[in-house]
Amino acid sequence: MRTVVVYTWARDPGAATVRGDGSVEWRNQKLVAGEDDHAAVAVARQVAEADGGDLVGVTVGGGDASWALARGVPAAVQVADAAVVGDGTDQARTAAVLAAAVRAQGADVVVIGDAEEHAGVPAALAGHLGAPVLLGVSAATVSGGRVQVTRTVDGTEQTLEVAAPVVLAVAAAGPEEKAPGMKELLAARKRPVTSVPLADLDVPTTADVVATGTRLPDAGDARIFTGDPADTAAALVAALRAEGVL
Amino acid sequence: MSREAWALVAAPRQVAATVRTARTVADRVTVLAVGPREVADAASAAGPDRVLWAETADGRPAEALTVPVADAVAAAAPDLLLAAGDPAARALLGAAAARRGAALVSGMLALRADGDALSIDRTALDGEVVATVTVAGPVAVLVDGDDEPADAATPAPVEPLTGQVAPADLVLTATRAAEGGSGLYDAARVVSIGRGVKAKDDLALVEQLTAALDAELACSMPVADDLGWVPKDRYVGRSGQKIAPRLYLALGIAGMPQHMEGIRDAKVVAAVNTDPDAPVFRAADYGIVGDLYEVVPALVAALGS
Repeated sequence: MRTVVVYTWARDPGAATVRGDGSVEWRNQKLVAGEDDHAAVAVARQVAEADGGDLVGVTVGGGDASWALARGVPAAVQVADAAVVGDGTDQARTAAVLAAAVRAQGADVVVIGDAEEHAGVPAALAGHLGAPVLLGVSAATVSGGRVQVTRTVDGTEQTLEVAAPVVLAVAAAGPEEKAPGMKELLAARKRPVTSVPLADLDVPTTADVVATGTRLPDAGDARIFTGDPADTAAALVAALRAEGVL
Repeated sequence: MSREAWALVAAPRQVAATVRTARTVADRVTVLAVGPREVADAASAAGPDRVLWAETADGRPAEALTVPVADAVAAAAPDLLLAAGDPAARALLGAAAARRGAALVSGMLALRADGDALSIDRTALDGEVVATVTVAGPVAVLVDGDDEPADAATPAPVEPLTGQVAPADLVLTATRAAEGGSGLYDAARVVSIGRGVKAKDDLALVEQLTAALDAELACSMPVADDLGWVPKDRYVGRSGQKIAPRLYLALGIAGMPQHMEGIRDAKVVAAVNTDPDAPVFRAADYGIVGDLYEVVPALVAALGS
């Protein structure tokens, strides 16, 4: 089985500054690893090790392809064009580009981070590949040629079994515990990165999504009580009783 | 123009909000319900024009039916697709959007018709801004909605989804209560503490309030992770527990986006904080600006009266 892990496919929210008028300034358009990407790499390695098959990283845009190589992925493919996914708002477009790149690798198991800000990308990626998808995954392995997947939904831990091909979207349980050290970073430089031009991929078009502006969220319509603690506490308890939540 | 919307649902939660959103711009609303009968019934009660029902069987989750659902959507070619953010509904929407050749936008807050196009407000940058986009062709949206009760509507007829409904080779083999949570997940009322609580011994004060409210105790990440005052399975947020209590009472919690993500589905959020500009008040329904060391005993007294 071939496992493909998709990483570094969205802009860095840390590069955005929100001004007082609600407009957003992007210091750069660079694509960086998302906060779930490290967990996606870990799950992809679990799958590849359990199966004994190979593992390839796929990344798009001008991001750092060696990011996954420093985390134990032996080789990567990069769709080179920097503006490949636009501003990322049309998640079907992002997914179509990723799907074209993944398809060219002939993947059996595709692993991607289940990023909150881009919640539609993993499912649309699976849609473009015509494969089933499991979202919110925490762990996966392979046994008897089938993929065993663990995830938690609504306070229940589910174990699922699925035949390849399948897309697994992994939600990180927290930040990466140990970033790669100098040794891993140097080793990553020696691992191969193959560059693929966007024009070589068959990417279907979707309807144009035109950004027309940003604003600050509406101020909440919270009822705020101020003043003497006894009065404010009594007012809150009365309000909560009226809501029927006590 | 006449606009047709399809809502894809896999759980009773958020069906009403999704149908209501669709109604704001669409002339005809179809709900495609995937799952057991209760999902189809909830969809019918939300009052769309019709419900198509694909029943799941043999321990298969809704995700096993993404391909037949996408086929049905592609055949009907609706202008607008909607789904809530639960994993199964997201899976259905992604598959359908790809087959339909639709754009896909997440975090939708509001929809407006803009001539033949649709104008979409979406939450972006962890909720720091609302971004508006316009889409002139078919579009799929993930609705960032609350779990609201259905309007009193005429129940829609439920028809079985016909055609090729062959499920994928995908089965649920086991379920168990997730580790941690310790009753937090099912709690109707939750009192949650943040860095505004100054010492571990002060938990005794908070426990008087949890007792008076018959509530479970939760906390923000630093209280469990850095301080270790509360077990780690009780912290709420993006990487912790995601809960939907009827009442979430935040004490001394600033309300950073990572935390608030864990209580997106709470019915009523109340907050106590000394800082009137704390972000938590923007997401709250009720707030008290004050010192929790004064307010908590006053709340205990008010609840007892």
